[in-house]
Amino acid sequence: MWVLGVTERRVMGAFWVLNLVLFLVQVVGIKGAHGIGEHGVRIWPMPLSVSHSHKSLYVGKDFKIMSQGSKYKDASGILKDGFSRFLAVVKGAHVVDGDTSKLDQSRVLQGLNVFISSTKDELQYGIDESYKLLVPSPDKPTYAHLEAQTVYGALHGLQTLSQLCQFNFSSRVIEILMTPWIINDQPRFSFRGLLIDTSRHYQPLPIIKNVIDSMAYAKLNVLHWHIVDTQSFPLEIPSYPKLWDGAYSTSERYTMADAAEIVSYAQKRGINVLAELDVPGHALSWGKGYPSLWPSKDCQEPLDVSNEFTFKVIDGILSDFSKVFKYKFVHLGGDEVNTSCWTLTPHVSKWLKEHSMNESQAYQYFVLQAQKIALLHGYEIVNWEETFNNFGNKLSPKTVVHNWLGGGVAQRVVAAGLRCIVSNQDKWYLDHLDTTWEQFYMNEPLTNITKSEQQKLVIGGEVCMWGETVDASDIQQTIWPRAAAAAERLWTPYDKLAKEAKQVTGRLAHFRCLLNQRGIAAAPLAADTPLTQPGRSAPLEPGSCYLQ
Amino acid sequence: MQAQTVYGALHGLQTLSQLCQFNFSSRVIEILMTPWIINDQPRFSFRGLLIDTSRHYQPLPIIKNVIDSMAYAKLNVLHWHIVDTQSFPLEIPSYPKLWDGAYSTSERYTMADAAEIVSYAQKRGINVLAELDVPGHALSWGKGYPSLWPSKDCQEPLDVSNEFTFKVIDGILSDFSKVFKYKFVHLGGDEVNTSCWTLTPHVSKWLKEHSMNESQAYQYFVLQAQKIALLHGYEIVNWEETFNNFGNKLSPKTVVHNWLGGGVAQRVVAAGLRCIVSNQDKWYLDHLDTTWEQFYMNEPLTNITKSEQQKLVIGGEVCMWGETVDASDIQQTIWPRAAAAAERLWTPYDKLAKEAKQVTGRLAHFRCLLNQRGIAAAPLAADTPLTQPGRSAPLEPGSCYLQ
Repeated sequence: MWVLGVTERRVMGAFWVLNLVLFLVQVVGIKGAHGIGEHGVRIWPMPLSVSHSHKSLYVGKDFKIMSQGSKYKDASGILKDGFSRFLAVVKGAHVVDGDTSKLDQSRVLQGLNVFISSTKDELQYGIDESYKLLVPSPDKPTYAHLEAQTVYGALHGLQTLSQLCQFNFSSRVIEILMTPWIINDQPRFSFRGLLIDTSRHYQPLPIIKNVIDSMAYAKLNVLHWHIVDTQSFPLEIPSYPKLWDGAYSTSERYTMADAAEIVSYAQKRGINVLAELDVPGHALSWGKGYPSLWPSKDCQEPLDVSNEFTFKVIDGILSDFSKVFKYKFVHLGGDEVNTSCWTLTPHVSKWLKEHSMNESQAYQYFVLQAQKIALLHGYEIVNWEETFNNFGNKLSPKTVVHNWLGGGVAQRVVAAGLRCIVSNQDKWYLDHLDTTWEQFYMNEPLTNITKSEQQKLVIGGEVCMWGETVDASDIQQTIWPRAAAAAERLWTPYDKLAKEAKQVTGRLAHFRCLLNQRGIAAAPLAADTPLTQPGRSAPLEPGSCYLQ
Repeated sequence: MQAQTVYGALHGLQTLSQLCQFNFSSRVIEILMTPWIINDQPRFSFRGLLIDTSRHYQPLPIIKNVIDSMAYAKLNVLHWHIVDTQSFPLEIPSYPKLWDGAYSTSERYTMADAAEIVSYAQKRGINVLAELDVPGHALSWGKGYPSLWPSKDCQEPLDVSNEFTFKVIDGILSDFSKVFKYKFVHLGGDEVNTSCWTLTPHVSKWLKEHSMNESQAYQYFVLQAQKIALLHGYEIVNWEETFNNFGNKLSPKTVVHNWLGGGVAQRVVAAGLRCIVSNQDKWYLDHLDTTWEQFYMNEPLTNITKSEQQKLVIGGEVCMWGETVDASDIQQTIWPRAAAAAERLWTPYDKLAKEAKQVTGRLAHFRCLLNQRGIAAAPLAADTPLTQPGRSAPLEPGSCYLQ
């Protein structure tokens, strides 16, 4: 027994109590209580609190899930599917054909009891993602115990449990080492995102699903879908059906049903989808189907601010979005707007004069108009930081500013009372192949933000997988493992993060190999030569996964 | 659809799957351009892909993904180069310390894992050709059984003077025979540097006692291994050095696996032996500078004109050696170049394109189809010198079909 009842303690003298405390310290392990010392703990991202000991248990052949006392009914099968996926990943790397009935039954776990206190399965920004995992359960030693406020906290608990399991090559069963585990966990930030870009390269549905699977393994919870941009418009917009004439080809498109499928697939894994409609720049492809959206045939960006039709289209798109994208936020872009086509094109230039706007006022006008439309559709808005940098005090006050240009911006955003998502490109852009995983790990969103009420305004951060040189062939090896480094920065409490990235090398290498074992093409950590870019290195030579 | 065997039917299903496409208007699957009348059969019976799980361990889900993709291109032999110098990842029940040579305890395959791979492949019409490369490329064997090394300081090739060496080979092949049911087993025999035999006193002594020089000992080793494999009911494949050095001594049903270069296949079949073609200048996938066009244009029957000799070329194989290939990049290095070779091995000679560029569009389409099926096939195009054709990332935004 790892815990003593009150009765036993009462009959002991002080001497015994002291001995007992020392004994417990040895058994439970001081190193486990803090969890910073990596010794033995291989969970990624590192939980808020972890303690463990030295006893091995086995996962029974018919390991099942039970919901005794749980308030959550699982009508949509989120928990049931999550448990199936748990079994599949735990058993996926080797044939588990050992006979657990031949083992000491007191060490065989028959199942997992899951207790969820909320009856709701709504996935939304800010839900409770906490969980508590006990292996074994103190009340039922042949069961593991998972409790959470929501089913999504429970899914995180299943992820962690899956990382405690390993295949035993002698007994040919799944075992859990170093029990008892007592894990209390919850994320530091509520917004932990990955951006994918399906405009620069179309990503087929199975690839996006593979990315979503991998996000769940690292407890990322927002897929920021940068759907359309200059190069292509791949999404069906029922209100304006010619928009997707801007796709690269007829097959490189997503129907609304495909988009709904992505949202649903993500939701089952606790992942929100933040849809982005980047306006007024990065929108050249819109004019393929509706050329009047261009200032002119020869000057095709940004979207024509003088044309009422432009805002009708935006309204139509956001209306269609609202039927599928249920996340509280929508991203309206607003970055890198080169307004010269507005002044160069006569009818637009005339409109600017009539409205007493110069280029930059017109840019502000456009962004605010788009914001108004999104607000009418019930969304809260995210905009790239140029909107804040240029007219921050004019933005809708609940705008979340998405920092990308560099450091130092988040602190100004929160000082102005606005919320912020951190994606500074010098550290968190995955398409920057020369950025190392160590740099991803060490990028602290709250740098120079010390006041607690301001720190709360940083809702989280996001790593960005821009798609210029990324298609189905190389997306996963460019995302992983560097996104995992950021995932820990966003999940794990600040004081439990490593102070030097190299301290977590072994644990991250282990997580990378775990991703590989789950069919995720995560790249090696090491990139030694100048020619090999850290962002997408091939292994340099033969060797163990764990050392590369 | 009709077929002689269920495996023919599986190929038919593959073809049918490539006729189907999603209609974005009606939102149903459609088949254009009917009626289709397709008669099909492969040109060669042996259409292989080699994977190497010694230089890097490949987890089961990755191997399964590779097998899936092979079926899409109608490849039918997975040549599993299981062990080599760097690591020994497979469980051998007869000699359980052999897999101490694995990179780590988790980077191993149990016999059940191997059986799972065979079963998974079989369901897709793919045979598994297991390779036990001897006597070279076997340093990892000594991790668990150091007496297999000539000495602690000279660890390759396997000690020819030690009876135990051949007991171990016998044990391995016995265990193989329970799981690997393909008619052939591959016994390697390539790149044998015999200097450790002459440098190590007890081995050198044995050579003298048996009146063998180094190269006769190499021959002896290969032929001994062959005998053992034959006793286990296998037919044998050996790398071409065995033929180049002592072709007339090989078991007459040996299939010679050409890899060193062109011109070998014709000599093998002229000697009356069967041949598998994998000339490294064109069909080695780890040679990142070889283009898909070169893969496509590599003709196995080059300079083999007599029909009875042509029959002796049972097929060919592209080789994904694992030095710089792990789970992160194996599929993008295999595809689409393996697909180019897959057509060379399946399609009748007179229906092959005379110039590779003629099939660019169709191969690009196949590559995009692979992507749509979750296979990380690389783009066809590699324009700059820095981008190696074998593993290029897309250079810029664009349609899948044009990259």
